[in-house]
Amino acid sequence: MISRRHFLSSALSLTAGLFFSIPRPSRGKNFPQVFFAQIKYRGGDWDPNPRFAEAMIDELELRTSIDGLKERRVVTLSDPDLFFCPFVYMAGKYEFEPFTSGEREAFRRFLIFGGFLFAEDTLGAKGFGFDQSFRREMKEILPEYEMKRLLPDHSVYRSFYLMEGIGGRQKVTPFFEGITIDHWTPVIYSQNDLSGAWARDKFGKWINECVPGGESQRSSAFKAGINLIVYSLTSDYKKDLIHHPFIRRRQNL
Amino acid sequence: MSSGQIAIAPVIPFWLILLLLLLGLGLILHQYLLIRKRVGGSKALMISLLRLGVLSLLVSFFLNPAFLERRKHTIRPPLAVLVDSSQSMGLTGNDGTGSRLDQARSVLLQEKSALLKALSEKFEVRLFAFGESLRPIEAGDLPALKGYGRRGDLTDSLKKLSGKSSIAILLSDGNVKWEGSASTHLPVFSLAAGDSEGYRDLLIKAVKAPLLAFRGREVVIDVTVKAYGYAGLTLPVILKDGSNLLTAKNVRLHGNHAEVTVPLSFTPEKIGSPHLSVSIPSQYGESLTSNNGVNLSLKVIKDKIRVLMISGSPSLSYRLMRTAFKNDPSVDLLSFVILRTPSDVMNVPLQEQSLIPFPVETLFSKELKDFDLLIFDNFPYNLYLQQSYIENLKGFVKEGGGFAVIGGPFFSREGGYEADGLGEILPVRFTGKEAYQRDFSSGVKLSRAGMVHPITCLSPDEGDNAGLWKEMAPLDGINLLEVRRSGTVLLESNDGTSRPILTVGDYGKGRVLTLSTDFSWKWYMGMVARGRSNVPYLLLMERMVRWLTRDPSLDPIQIILPQNAGSAGRESEVRIKIRDEGSSFDLKNKVSLQVFNPEGMKIESQLKPASRSGEFTASFWPEKGGAYRIRVDSPAGHQEESLVIPVPGEDLDGAPDPDRLRTASLSTGGKFLSTGSDLLREVEAYAAGRRENHFTEERSLILWGRPYSFAFILLLLTGEWYLRRKWGLR
Repeated sequence: MISRRHFLSSALSLTAGLFFSIPRPSRGKNFPQVFFAQIKYRGGDWDPNPRFAEAMIDELELRTSIDGLKERRVVTLSDPDLFFCPFVYMAGKYEFEPFTSGEREAFRRFLIFGGFLFAEDTLGAKGFGFDQSFRREMKEILPEYEMKRLLPDHSVYRSFYLMEGIGGRQKVTPFFEGITIDHWTPVIYSQNDLSGAWARDKFGKWINECVPGGESQRSSAFKAGINLIVYSLTSDYKKDLIHHPFIRRRQNL
Repeated sequence: MSSGQIAIAPVIPFWLILLLLLLGLGLILHQYLLIRKRVGGSKALMISLLRLGVLSLLVSFFLNPAFLERRKHTIRPPLAVLVDSSQSMGLTGNDGTGSRLDQARSVLLQEKSALLKALSEKFEVRLFAFGESLRPIEAGDLPALKGYGRRGDLTDSLKKLSGKSSIAILLSDGNVKWEGSASTHLPVFSLAAGDSEGYRDLLIKAVKAPLLAFRGREVVIDVTVKAYGYAGLTLPVILKDGSNLLTAKNVRLHGNHAEVTVPLSFTPEKIGSPHLSVSIPSQYGESLTSNNGVNLSLKVIKDKIRVLMISGSPSLSYRLMRTAFKNDPSVDLLSFVILRTPSDVMNVPLQEQSLIPFPVETLFSKELKDFDLLIFDNFPYNLYLQQSYIENLKGFVKEGGGFAVIGGPFFSREGGYEADGLGEILPVRFTGKEAYQRDFSSGVKLSRAGMVHPITCLSPDEGDNAGLWKEMAPLDGINLLEVRRSGTVLLESNDGTSRPILTVGDYGKGRVLTLSTDFSWKWYMGMVARGRSNVPYLLLMERMVRWLTRDPSLDPIQIILPQNAGSAGRESEVRIKIRDEGSSFDLKNKVSLQVFNPEGMKIESQLKPASRSGEFTASFWPEKGGAYRIRVDSPAGHQEESLVIPVPGEDLDGAPDPDRLRTASLSTGGKFLSTGSDLLREVEAYAAGRRENHFTEERSLILWGRPYSFAFILLLLTGEWYLRRKWGLR
């Protein structure tokens, strides 16, 4: 049976007259470069959108050269495997218990030395619940760094798509926040519930409505998700000089 | 002048001596009275007098009498005569016929004053040849003295003479090192040699050039030209590499004593050690032409290692390698990541994407030569590179470029890489069965070559290094490869199959490397997870880049030139370090040295093993100045360096400098004088004004210790005994 991915791929290639003129490399699905590793913590609700990963990885493989693993992995902060997860995801709605000092130390080491965390408050309540707890933990873990709004020229907004907004199930903030260490932002945070917009049920239907923007807001959420993953694997690659004229030209189109 | 006196120093208390004397006198008197009855008064008196004489002498010995003689001596003040024997003293003197040294000789030996003879009458004269060192000589050595070597250090020489001489006379042209003050109290009376007004010369006084230059970056060499007696002349300053003209600039000389600095710039195109020289053409009437040219020592290296990395897909491997390269200030990275392939969906307008076209044609047909290293990171090159690009890539490596392939599923290819020719570059080939294996989970171990290879030798201690690699996190996927004959495996899997993981090799002048995994990032994060440093991974990446680009710091052979290049006619030594990269060869017998003179002729040289393993000392005797090429061959490869020996006189400023003599003399309390007779008069006047030095010699003659004292006592006793016998006494 032909998969959705292969159907779309063949159709687009035919339309463009490029039918396998440059064939896609035989990259195996068995060799993912990325997967979601979701942090399970104590208290609150660590898993508000259990079915987000498959849809996002589907879109990622469809649109980019990256192979992903659809099954998300669940890790705790005391799990040594945390360090071998290329994309660590953390979400929640409610206040959660403080991390232990050992967990904080491990998490700090992970983030300082090259790890990546995308965290989101799916409730979207500033200063309450998950938002309050997450900011508290980040202050404990990386006290010398501050969570700040990521400005429009940050690589995460241009790692794959040139983004102006970040979409999501809800529209709390039109930008990401993050903690930047030198030129790398190991922590990116949103309150727009991107994973809520990505989540599909087993029949392929969207689980949540995106309000107030509807499907365009969902589309932006997927773009944001892809940009986040590409950023986690390429860092500030798009800041290289060679990209500047192209990006500027396209932004002026 | 001498005087004498008798001194006593009793060996026993004086009263005891007196007591003994009185006892002796009493005994003699008693004996006198006894024998007078038997032989009569006159005979008894004679015997008693003899006895009294013996008694007096014996008792006087207890007084320890000695004769003291004092002689007064007057000392002539020590005077050091320093005859400048440096190279500039060989140049023409005042009259234009003899040298400046002849002029000095004449003052000392031949002129009316015959200075040396006159001085010797009133001073204790010590003669020194004053050049690179201070050397005592005799007056008879003066005629054979020649101007040779660098100028002498007057400050240092005065320190050496301090305390040994009270006055110094210096005969020099003023080309001496003088620090402006002397810490000694030794007055210097100087007499100038040479004609400072009529001296004509052009010279390169100074060349300010960096020791290191970067390929492709402009180098500026500041050349200072000094001229005596060529006012108004315009002449070119020429910079050459061997016989090739690099650049030239005209300078105009204003005034008779002119000094002009001119910047000469050029851009080195090749790495290595070019044979640079700066020169100015000789002019009519120049006193010296050897100082019209200077050889330069310059090493051209890469400014930055230019790396082109192409990744088949975004990955953590790419990000961490990129981070490592970006953190290395010597690496200039240009990277491309294939973010989407033509078969991926492009569901938004172009202006909403940040993707740029992969400039494959520009890179592989035009700009490849501008890079030092090309890295394919899990890159399916066959989908993007035409055969002509692959040929260009082969040519790039053949000509000295570095090429690294980082593995991964995209690198795998059924049938291998033999068809398009890329396979012949690589040090590995596919096994032909399965190309890539996931969920492999095997650690790595060092091969024998890997234990000492600069890429994998991350710790100087062999045990620590092996332990470090043992601790590295297991890899989750590898390309299944076999090593070619040309390849050297540095790391292999430790799962029992010993698959090559990190393999290196050569292709043409270039170096190649294959890291057959896309999970090397686990080595980084694995160390971080253990609470260890991420430095080993960063070091591995740095070493890979440096080895592939033949960075001199990782060359198996290093020729270490001496800081001071030495001089013609003296033995020059260079150190050689050879690192054994795992080949089982006996270094001692397989290292050879060749030294070529500036004309390219091989000259005699010696190579001796040093105390440390893999280190040697090479020595040779340069007969003249110029660039000497040193070549070392070993099983690890070969290396060449050039040692520039200065041409004698190339840095000589031979102009007489009477002002320096004047300054030196005045600052030491001496005088600067124009003729030998003035000099003698001034020195005598100076000496007369100083307190006369003399000493008294005192000699002590112990009288009782003399043999004649005992002989005299014996004579008296014999006389007494004879008279007693004669006169019938017992």
